[in-house]
Amino acid sequence: MNYHFGRGFSRWTPFLLLLPGLLIYFVIALGPSIATSVYSFTNATGLKGAPVEWVGLDNYKEFLLLGQAAKDNLAVLRRTLIFSLFVSSVQFTLGLIIALVLNQRLLGRNVVRTLVFMPVILGAVIQGLIWTLFLYPLGGPAANFLKLFGLQSQFLGGSPAEAFFWVMVVQIWANLGITMIIFLAGLQTIPSEYYEAATVDGASSWQVFRNVTWPLLTPSINTNILLNVIGSLQAWQLFLVLIGYRPGTQVLGYLIYATGFGAAGSMTQSFRQGYAAAASIVLFILVLIIGMTVQTFLRRREVRILG
Amino acid sequence: MNTSTSQTRRRINWGKVSSYAVMLLLAIIYLVPLLMLVNTSLKTTQSFAINATGLATELNFANFAEAWEKANFPRYLLNSVIYTASATAIFVVTSLFVAFPIARGYVKHAGALLTLYVIALFLPPALIPQFQLILNLGLYNTPQGFILLFVVNAVGIVILVNSIKSIPRELDEAAALDGCGYTRFVWSIVLPLLRPAVATVIVLHAIGIWNEIIAPTIYLTSEKYYPITRGLIVFQGVYGSEWPTLAAAVLMLTVPMIILFLFLQRYIISGLTAGAVKG
Repeated sequence: MNYHFGRGFSRWTPFLLLLPGLLIYFVIALGPSIATSVYSFTNATGLKGAPVEWVGLDNYKEFLLLGQAAKDNLAVLRRTLIFSLFVSSVQFTLGLIIALVLNQRLLGRNVVRTLVFMPVILGAVIQGLIWTLFLYPLGGPAANFLKLFGLQSQFLGGSPAEAFFWVMVVQIWANLGITMIIFLAGLQTIPSEYYEAATVDGASSWQVFRNVTWPLLTPSINTNILLNVIGSLQAWQLFLVLIGYRPGTQVLGYLIYATGFGAAGSMTQSFRQGYAAAASIVLFILVLIIGMTVQTFLRRREVRILG
Repeated sequence: MNTSTSQTRRRINWGKVSSYAVMLLLAIIYLVPLLMLVNTSLKTTQSFAINATGLATELNFANFAEAWEKANFPRYLLNSVIYTASATAIFVVTSLFVAFPIARGYVKHAGALLTLYVIALFLPPALIPQFQLILNLGLYNTPQGFILLFVVNAVGIVILVNSIKSIPRELDEAAALDGCGYTRFVWSIVLPLLRPAVATVIVLHAIGIWNEIIAPTIYLTSEKYYPITRGLIVFQGVYGSEWPTLAAAVLMLTVPMIILFLFLQRYIISGLTAGAVKG
């Protein structure tokens, strides 16, 4: 490109000033990210100076094939998929409905938008603590509500399946605002002439949604599906705050952290960073396969609809 | 045309009614957990034990003083502010000088460089090697090591590059003709023009650091280095059964975040929707 800020040595200025940022990025983010695959073939621990040996595919074999631990790991993988499927489909559907409702000229819509979006900025710790209180089993609001129907629950302290369910609820509550905002932004790009034309033609509101809104919302639909699916496969912070590392509730992200940094409770599992790196690669492959499948499906749909 | 006015005059618009019902339901779902927090923070431990959801009649403000003191908040808050401010400042200054020449093509292989930032979003988690790096640099359990982890943000670079493209190239030429140097141009002409995008990137990056809980749990073992998130978790571990005190602690951190959010809403939302609707 035409560069106007001098010749000779000073032509190097942009590059020299770019270098610090780029180097930090390589050292802190890109390099380590790629190095995860290298570590996954070693028996690295979290101890400084401890010898690191090459163990080939041992970590992967152990993770996927050996004994009870491998069975538990497969259960973790299945749970991660259930978490992702449930969270992303509910979040997508509710986010779309809410955006459609709040896109109308209604009194107080901005207040409700702000309320729904608010948890996003509070972060996992505050989200988690607010819900731990809300789900207080001894007469908290949720417990009282269930009581109206003659039901009761131990919520986060209940059975693993029960605790797992409530983490999914909090996950959706916390991130619904992002999905809603992306849909609202998409809705605002649809020209109002299309709606006027449809009304003149006497289309019902379902027909308007099916033939105008839904196809023209394609870019936001794609963004939301990809963000929700990939995000929920990797999410686990709320498990940490809400229930801690409990057998029968963990997802893959938490397992990686617990084996790599010793929060698993048992000493034998602690600080196995080579093994944790192998689990990270398993998660990466899972995200890649699912992400690419979804992406291909969405591309085809987009070509069919928008040409 | 108006033969049926007597019939339609009082017809209820069910679409509107159900929309308002949805809004009311949302307001309840999003407000009740917060109101529970406020109410609990004003109760005494005894009255919470007797009736957790009963309205606080005693207005026990002592919870706040107690939480502030016992939770060691001043220290943790100061740590959080230091980490967030310094990491964000380093990130913004360095990435401005990364994003500008990439957006303009002033460095070789600008397109390839941008790709390096885009693919980061899809690469495996860097958790383990990052830890080994910090450990071997001797930066484990140090504020410097912790800050170092947060001076990069690939999404931020992508947002900056996209918004720099909207600044006309002719400006570069005109400034250069007037004898303005490269560094001064980027710093005192591009940066002010880029203010909305920079604000978005700053706000998103800072919120991310402020709310971070995994990294402080892994990297900071000394209590004196804890940021507020870790401090709150530790406080919950100790005072988990004293909900009024804990609720006061949580509330004291929630309210400033909400106020800040109301002011910065615009930047947060524009950052999250950037590029999302264009596909």
